[in-house]
Amino acid sequence: MLKRIEDWNYYELLSVERTASQDEIWEAYQAALATYKDGSEALYGLVTEAERGPTLERVQEAFQTLRDPARRKEYDLALLRHAPYTPPKAPFRRSVGKLEIEEAPPRRSFWSRLKRLFINLTHS
Amino acid sequence: MDKRIWAIGGGKGGTGKSFVAANLGLHLASLDRDVVLLDADLGAPNLHTLLGLRPSHPDLGDFLTGAVPSLEAAAVATPYRNLRLIKGSENILFIANVAHFRKLRLLRQVRQLATQNVILDLGTGSSYNTLDFFLSANPGVVVTTPEPTAIENTYLFLKSCIMRVLKLYMDHYKIRDLHQKMLDQIEKNSQSLYSFFKSLMETDRSYGTILYRALRTFRPCLVMNKARGEEDVRLGRSVADVARKYLLIDMKYLGAIPYDDDVAGSLRALRPYYPDHRNAAAAKAIRQMSEDLAYSIEFTLRTPPEIRLPDV
Repeated sequence: MLKRIEDWNYYELLSVERTASQDEIWEAYQAALATYKDGSEALYGLVTEAERGPTLERVQEAFQTLRDPARRKEYDLALLRHAPYTPPKAPFRRSVGKLEIEEAPPRRSFWSRLKRLFINLTHS
Repeated sequence: MDKRIWAIGGGKGGTGKSFVAANLGLHLASLDRDVVLLDADLGAPNLHTLLGLRPSHPDLGDFLTGAVPSLEAAAVATPYRNLRLIKGSENILFIANVAHFRKLRLLRQVRQLATQNVILDLGTGSSYNTLDFFLSANPGVVVTTPEPTAIENTYLFLKSCIMRVLKLYMDHYKIRDLHQKMLDQIEKNSQSLYSFFKSLMETDRSYGTILYRALRTFRPCLVMNKARGEEDVRLGRSVADVARKYLLIDMKYLGAIPYDDDVAGSLRALRPYYPDHRNAAAAKAIRQMSEDLAYSIEFTLRTPPEIRLPDV
């Protein structure tokens, strides 16, 4: 989905899953702090100082919310109200599903099944 | 035959693209996989030197001029089992400005090479030739180093790839007027790509969706070479994260290759690095990356995207 960085939710901003543990959130926060710190090399040539500041503030806001279980629960509920959460599917699940569909016999309509039954009956 | 075309590219010279390509090839070949290394650095080829070989014929120039009938015939055996090399041409002035139809022929023949793995060692910069080679491969690996100049050029290279992908789709759908609009908007700021898509979605949702999907099919990988510490490893992760958020692309961070003085030593001795330093940290990092990619289901299930270049 097309989003600008201001529209990313706290989980997306910290690049963690919604099921992330407190340790994972802490690690992601440290990584985000390193990315958006003053004079960060990672932003060189792409993100201006004026754009960096508000993003860093949002990163801090995200961490303050997600580290507190009560505030996180409230935030999660607000997110769910906005858009239901569907956990990402592993690629192999998709591929297995595709293979199963390809290998399954084609679905027949009621009339084709009736026709097939009639042909079998006339042949027997 | 299940084929994988790897492209090793990047925006800045001296980041170690040829080093990564050569050692990746040597590692894959040591696993009994058939590998062809193609020196597609049209301006300054030196992949043969990294393998400890001298320039000789046939080479890529011989294929492009028709001196050899096919690219297969230009692939010469190396002292390393399972590894063949298509050397870059000594006739640099001719080859660096290769004509469009010759480039298309080369790309077609790369796909037809009778091998499991083709590794393209690309040149520096954002010329259409380099970008088209990078975009026609899967996986495409961008090599950078922990320096502001290299990072700046990495973003520039990624932006150029993005603009090339979008331009190819615009040409295909005959919406060329959008190209100028994109060029006008893209340089403004880091959010320019988002703004371009946003305004396009508002004016023409169907084209906006097509182009956005096209952009999301561009999934490069990033390697941080010459890392001198944990901070440099994290910097690579940050660069990939920033590219995902601001350039709207799905970039995978493969990891960092530690700096090793022995790399320069091997080069001076005209010996390839990997076979003599298998237990070094840099060799281990290359092994880890190649295995991550080689066994990645994401790349196994996905055939290399066929970029349809306009025949003009």
